[in-house]
Amino acid sequence: MKRLLLTIISTSILLLLLAFSNYRNWFLDKPLDYWYSFCTEVRHPASLEEVRRIRYGLPYTLSKKIQEAVKAGHLHDPVFLFEPNSFYHDSLHIDLHMPEPAVFYYFTGLQGVWMNSPTVQKANYLVMIRKGEMKIEHIRTPRQLQEILTRYRSFTPIL
Amino acid sequence: MALTLLIICHFFTGYGLLRLLRIAHKPLVLLPLAFLSGIAVDSFLPFLLQLCHCPLYPATVFGSLGLVVLLLNIGGLRLIPAGGRTRRQSLTLKSVLSPIRIRSYEYPSLLLLSFLVFVSVWRCYYLPPTSRDALSGPEAIAEYAVREHTIVNSFFTVDLSTTNNHFKSPFLISLQVIYKMAGLPFGQVWLSIIFVSFTWLLYQLLKLTLHPILAGLLLLLMTMAPELYAYSFMILYDYSNMVFFFLGVYFLFRSDGTGGPPDGLRAPASGDASAGRDSEFFFGAFMMGVSTYIRSETLVLAAFFLPLIVRKDWRNKTPLGGMVRRGVLFLLPSLVAYFLTTWLYINYYLPVRYDIGNLANPHLFQLGALYHVYADMVTELVTSAWSIHLWGYFIILWAAVILADVLVGRRLSRPARDWLYAVGVVFFGLGLLSHIFPLMEVALTIKRGFFKILPSMLFCLANSQLLIKLSTRISQWEEGRDGAITTPGFSGDKPRSSWDSEPPAL
Repeated sequence: MKRLLLTIISTSILLLLLAFSNYRNWFLDKPLDYWYSFCTEVRHPASLEEVRRIRYGLPYTLSKKIQEAVKAGHLHDPVFLFEPNSFYHDSLHIDLHMPEPAVFYYFTGLQGVWMNSPTVQKANYLVMIRKGEMKIEHIRTPRQLQEILTRYRSFTPIL
Repeated sequence: MALTLLIICHFFTGYGLLRLLRIAHKPLVLLPLAFLSGIAVDSFLPFLLQLCHCPLYPATVFGSLGLVVLLLNIGGLRLIPAGGRTRRQSLTLKSVLSPIRIRSYEYPSLLLLSFLVFVSVWRCYYLPPTSRDALSGPEAIAEYAVREHTIVNSFFTVDLSTTNNHFKSPFLISLQVIYKMAGLPFGQVWLSIIFVSFTWLLYQLLKLTLHPILAGLLLLLMTMAPELYAYSFMILYDYSNMVFFFLGVYFLFRSDGTGGPPDGLRAPASGDASAGRDSEFFFGAFMMGVSTYIRSETLVLAAFFLPLIVRKDWRNKTPLGGMVRRGVLFLLPSLVAYFLTTWLYINYYLPVRYDIGNLANPHLFQLGALYHVYADMVTELVTSAWSIHLWGYFIILWAAVILADVLVGRRLSRPARDWLYAVGVVFFGLGLLSHIFPLMEVALTIKRGFFKILPSMLFCLANSQLLIKLSTRISQWEEGRDGAITTPGFSGDKPRSSWDSEPPAL
């Protein structure tokens, strides 16, 4: 009987705790939401590639598109130059973050550089995002590269 | 299958180490401790193989894991006294399961904890979040290490000017290499093993001093700290760093007769009691070394425990030579870990250079700046609305109980004072580190470093006079007894369990 009473008290304390605003919100938003996701995930397990797309988001999808373009276009030793994320944010007003070179390499095994990278002179392809479309422009000469760098000079590369 | 073998391997590695060091505790504590120690030891192996220029193939990596299991357990078997003078015990399934007596009032907390653990483990296994810090450093290095069989791989040919994460400890790389080689594409599951073992261990330790209702509730409050919970399934250094830092402090205090179970629960050692305490001291030092291996700045926090060691030795009238010896022995594993990961690995192994000196604050003696760091830590991480989103109400509860302990009980118990010292070490140590290395921002690195403060606070609470009295009252009422409980063993543990005096054997 005493243990039953203690069990009721213990349960009541926990229910009170979970009714507290912050714990309640956190519990609903995180563990419980993860639980609902688990129920779906067990019924419809995603492939490894789908899991990666869900987890790494748009930067991963864009990186894989670049990788596909490399394969389709048989590009040799490409080094991709990415537009600064501040350009997307400040000029195009879109919430887009191209991955930093290290993460791009992790996703694709391809080399990338930012506008302020010490090895930016190696860049031979420019990746541009316009109106939801990705374009890859071949950089043929050092002069063309210099023009590109000048064009984006006012946008500081940020994560 | 591979995962099961890895788990078994971690267990036997840790078990061998515990036997070798003659660490004695009850089976329900030794079991999670074996997993944690095993992961700690195994996390060194791919790194050490690479320092010896041995390529990382499944044969070399898993071969080294198997070899360590053999070496540690052969060493352990040799410690069994001949002629059966010491009663030989077995860490069998029966010996582990027999003390498990879950009372009905434990179920609500345990069910909620199990739910949180399950969700975390599933998340870690199936949809693991990976922070930018991991992706741009250790995770990428590990991925290419598996493909190219070396930590110095093609990742280092990339423009790394945007990140310094490749200079971080090889702890993550090593474990990711092991788990990726075992066929887990995201690795990561080792973090769940750490999380589950640590949660289990804490519950068992809390039950040594508190009534299970209070133990469960306090553990839940810590586990439900939103920021801490998130890192139980997102690989980075800080959760593991917290776990091994806690173990280092716990065994340091336990070797002095505090921090662990109350004195009444500590059975007199059947053999040499001081040898047992020395073992715990070495084990604590080793765990602190592992913590430094994970985050090198932990060395500074480890050094902050030297005054405590000296004070206790002074009180015990230990000769000066003994004090110095203990101080050096406690710091030695951390110094070795620091030497390996910071000096040798960064300066002589990695193909890219890193000048840590350049990161240091050139105005170290501007103490006003140091004061501002501490002020920021208090206002941002302790008293702000954001802090509730980070830690829930755990820190507030801790402050309230400790204050009540001081006001009502007039003094803190000795173990509570020791754990309060540990809280102070983390708080003041992190502030000092942030002052020395301004890159350690309060809102990012220091916030995660704060994880280490939570288990210390938890054990302050576990040794609070008020909570112990409350536990005693509940137990007396529950069992219908009037007398005072002198040796609380709320989990039904036998206070004079032979597990407390002798290491188990297979």
